[in-house]
Amino acid sequence: MNLILEKQALQDLLQSWRQNYDVYLPQKLERFSHFMPLTETSVLVTDEPHNTRIPPKSLFLPMTEALVKFTRYGGYEDARHEIQPRIVFGIRPCDAQAVQLLDTSFIQDEYTDPLWLERREKTITIGLGCHEPCLNGFCTTVGYGPFNKADLDAILTDMGDVYLVETFSQAGDACFQGLPVAAEETYQEALAVQHSAHDQMPVAFETENLKEKLEQNFKNNYWDEVSQSCLGCGVCTFLCPTCFCFDIVDETQRRERVRNWDSCMFRTYSLEASGHNPRPSRVERTRQRISHKFVYWLDQVNQIGCTGCGRCVRYCPVGLDIRSMLRQAHSLPFEVSHAI
Amino acid sequence: MQSNGRSLYTPIPMHVLRAYYESTDRSLKTLELSFDHAENSHAFFEAFNPGQFCLLSVAGKGESALGVASAAWEGDFVRFTAQNVGSVTSALHKLKAGDAIGMRGPMGNGFPLEDWKGKNLVIIGGGCAFSTLYALTKHVHHEDHRDDYGKLILVYGTRTSGLCMYKHDIAAWHENEDMEIHQAIDVPEENWQHHVGYVPDVVRQVAPSPDNAVAVVCGPPIMTKFTLPALDELGFAPEAIFTSLEKRMKCGVGKCGRCNLGPQYICKDGPVFSLAELNALPADL
Repeated sequence: MNLILEKQALQDLLQSWRQNYDVYLPQKLERFSHFMPLTETSVLVTDEPHNTRIPPKSLFLPMTEALVKFTRYGGYEDARHEIQPRIVFGIRPCDAQAVQLLDTSFIQDEYTDPLWLERREKTITIGLGCHEPCLNGFCTTVGYGPFNKADLDAILTDMGDVYLVETFSQAGDACFQGLPVAAEETYQEALAVQHSAHDQMPVAFETENLKEKLEQNFKNNYWDEVSQSCLGCGVCTFLCPTCFCFDIVDETQRRERVRNWDSCMFRTYSLEASGHNPRPSRVERTRQRISHKFVYWLDQVNQIGCTGCGRCVRYCPVGLDIRSMLRQAHSLPFEVSHAI
Repeated sequence: MQSNGRSLYTPIPMHVLRAYYESTDRSLKTLELSFDHAENSHAFFEAFNPGQFCLLSVAGKGESALGVASAAWEGDFVRFTAQNVGSVTSALHKLKAGDAIGMRGPMGNGFPLEDWKGKNLVIIGGGCAFSTLYALTKHVHHEDHRDDYGKLILVYGTRTSGLCMYKHDIAAWHENEDMEIHQAIDVPEENWQHHVGYVPDVVRQVAPSPDNAVAVVCGPPIMTKFTLPALDELGFAPEAIFTSLEKRMKCGVGKCGRCNLGPQYICKDGPVFSLAELNALPADL
């Protein structure tokens, strides 16, 4: 369904959802925007030329959460979490796409992560398309786009005084029940906005044969070059919407086993008890990060594991830019494989 | 992987049945664990295959991945041998009979025993990595399974004779006509009656035939690295050479990310890979 939502009416609509849902939306937090629960005075941030600093993956995989409780006499039980039905409003298409990519890791038959699954099932996601190109983003380059609809129950297109609302599920319909249906020409106008936004996104690097080039050059000096200035701070992975690695540690005083976001850019990530480390320097660790996104994800689910949100570019303290790293990768030697 | 209605990350309750030192230097300790609840035992043995591993859990210390060193027919318990190297394994070394412990597993694929039926098995182990090979040998050597396989050749090397694990069984196997066992230590010792030298050299010396045979190699990385070319020289095809890998692990169920080898997770897709499979993966070990 295509509906019209007056911008003035948005606040009331958001507030009305609060009766039945925990509503999360991007709000100002210090110098950044951040997904936080809606309160009576919440103000939606839409005027930033970039995404929230911390990706909304944190709503499904919190930075830290208990997995296991230690009981008396050496037993263990599942840590309990109250997960309320939720609406995540204003999620950008790159981040929604990222959550869907993460489903392929967390939801796998007998290997399904129960907390991830429950949060996913209880969440309605309403996207806000990007009608203007954001800083550093490159979503179209990796095959997605500023109005990518994956994983969304509805998406909004900013058309000045109004939003065009496209709904894709019953849950999405229910959220916007009672809004006037958009006239066909308004819908066409919205599509024009969407297409123009898509066309304005620059092509950041070539993806054709990129996977094969990275694979074939696993031992190339290229990796030394591109990792030279890396500090190993891990911000690129921490703020990446598709990075999902976590550490598991015991919090003795809380009597809990907890998972915390982890990063393949850290030395201790793969350090073994024997002292052996398969990725002993930032060269191997950088190779792992890039190869995971542009080689291994493709092997696993045939999708690039990067949605082009641009956070790693924006927040790298030494200005390492994955776009130029991959442009450089494109000039690496490469043999076309004729294997069928 | 069994769930028992619990989260993937929640260990099942076990207790220590027996705990004893495996090596004379006390760096290796064997724990035999029994199940607190019968349903967990059923689920475990329903899923278990030699070559799999479990995560042993000590509350407050963490979890450690250890290969299962017992065969299902041995009884209603699971055996592990831990080297005292880190904070969890040193906590494991302090456990004694009756103590509570948590366990998750069995995890991973285990050895492809079905595919190996009818073949000669060349089992090559080094140091404490011999544990899952011990489980494999006990499984294959049992009267119910022995006829499924051809010749059984075992090569087992340790730095010293004191570091040799499962000494009772190993000694008995020397007397056994049903298998060929070659034991080695790195440096000569008084009264040592077997090979002296490194495992790859012993393999060359023993020269097992590659005809209708598979070779399984488990040992420290350096041993594996030099044993694979020796097997290649003897004529073993990459499809007929198997090894069990390890990397740092946390979740054990392919979620936490760190044990990946290219697109594969050693915990979930491994730990057993053929050399042919490994050759197609990045050298990220």
